[in-house]
Amino acid sequence: MRERILEILQDQRPDVDFENETELVSGKILESFDIVSIVSELDDEFDIEITPKDLKAENFDSLEALENLIERLSEE
Amino acid sequence: MEKNVLEWLEKISRIHPDKIVYEDSSDKVTFYQAISEARRIGSRLIENVKDKAPIAVMLGRNVHTITSYLGVIYSGHVYAPIDAALPEDRVNKILDALKPAAILTDEESYETASVYGKAIGCDVFKREELNQGITLWPAINSIRKNMVDTDPLYIIFTSGSSGRPKGVITSHHSLMCYISAYTGVMNIGIHDKLGCQSPLDYIAAIRDIYVPLKTGASTYLLPKEYFMQPDELFDLMNKQEITAIGWSTSALTVLTQLGAFSDTRLNTLNKICFSGSVMPGKVLRKWQENLTDAMFVNQYGPTEATASCTYYRVDHVVEENEVIPIGIPYDNYKVFLLKEDNTEAADGEEGEICVAGPCLALGYYRDVERTEASFVRNPLVDTYYERMYRTGDIGRYNKDGLLEFHGRRDRQVKHMGHRVELDEIELAAGLAEGAGECAALYNAEKEALWLFYDGDIEKKDLVMTLRKELPGFMVPRKIKKLEKLPKLPNGKIDMSSLKELAGVK
Repeated sequence: MRERILEILQDQRPDVDFENETELVSGKILESFDIVSIVSELDDEFDIEITPKDLKAENFDSLEALENLIERLSEE
Repeated sequence: MEKNVLEWLEKISRIHPDKIVYEDSSDKVTFYQAISEARRIGSRLIENVKDKAPIAVMLGRNVHTITSYLGVIYSGHVYAPIDAALPEDRVNKILDALKPAAILTDEESYETASVYGKAIGCDVFKREELNQGITLWPAINSIRKNMVDTDPLYIIFTSGSSGRPKGVITSHHSLMCYISAYTGVMNIGIHDKLGCQSPLDYIAAIRDIYVPLKTGASTYLLPKEYFMQPDELFDLMNKQEITAIGWSTSALTVLTQLGAFSDTRLNTLNKICFSGSVMPGKVLRKWQENLTDAMFVNQYGPTEATASCTYYRVDHVVEENEVIPIGIPYDNYKVFLLKEDNTEAADGEEGEICVAGPCLALGYYRDVERTEASFVRNPLVDTYYERMYRTGDIGRYNKDGLLEFHGRRDRQVKHMGHRVELDEIELAAGLAEGAGECAALYNAEKEALWLFYDGDIEKKDLVMTLRKELPGFMVPRKIKKLEKLPKLPNGKIDMSSLKELAGVK
């Protein structure tokens, strides 16, 4: 799963080091329209629905956080 | 009649000295604090900067950035906001056009700013250090006495198709005309609280900066990263009791795409102006359904006409596929349509949207050539010289007498509220080592910039080059390498087959 998430992220922003970055949202690295694309791709890829409740910096600041979010949403 | 925006500040701070004017997530200032800060900063600039050239301001998203702008105005200089986070090459191009007398920055951006200052040989000041000492009343008064209302207030840089940014110069008079017209249309008064979305160096922020000075309202600077977290943003807006916003259409769009309103409501907001690009009917409808008592206004206009030309007060709940008109001219604006042959378009005919009147910018800074190409004599008036601006936008009056927006004459697009010249993206991509031919286009429906290219360079390396040349929002997120760009029989790039690849309908 991690690989697939990374691929989606890197496709959107090849310039960002997603494996090490820990402030993707709070550090203003991702733009709001990056998040729109990433959310829609993750929704499709993992058959989940990311809603505003989940759109918090702590869920999007790192690859690991995103992985946890997707895992949680997949179980629901 | 007022000649200078500082007169607004002086008047309102006498009446409401202790009312909050600007607020951000960690700080706030009253009208009295704002004017005192501005006068101190202005006085120190008067002492330290003798050159009359503009002052470049590189500051972050906080209330003191605004008081610093006001301080520059007190010093008699023109302020030119520059985002210090822009790529180095971009900032260099702007500074080269501007040749500032000094750079005003803060502790946080000092290191970056001093590198630029050193390179162009100008002094760099920290606003924290300037915000000290006494007000030099005689100097401030004498500067004011010699000013006229057509003197420049600020210079804001926008994208230029040649890759050279254009510095649009706006006068006090133009700004005051727009703010007066806008507050009238939006019915903004002292009890309103504005929620600022725009970056402070960008044209759309002028409302959030100056409306409070005119009306006594206050402005809260909403953090940028909240615009990707709809619930957090709405909670904050409710807590701050935000009543009025003037946001980019794309900010409203992004929030709906992220599911805004599904579990958080907006309780205090009742005046919404949106501008910057075409508002999709389905997005507006979503906002209207969730804010049934609010007023919605569609604003249209370029930076060159002080960000404005026309407005449309939406008077019904729109359909999902409805095209929202850009409406009628603001008070004190003259807007008309010219056909290719320089005659006026009749009702129902398309023409280039042209604008005249006191809202017109003074031109592009240090750029007579491009100024003269865009700010021209109105061909409809042959008895005296009336200056007008050609927007490059195509419009048409509908049967109700409302102006509709019908696209561009050239390759400029609006992306996330910003102007983007597709030529400029191609130029920047062409600089990358190994890049062959490049073609940029825009999928407006998906709000995505695309770049197709051929040659021997990997996508990642190309993106790295683009990031060195262009602001982040201008870097295409959809980049596709092709064996060879498709060509038409005449040798030109076949844009229609590329559009198909990009899913443009």
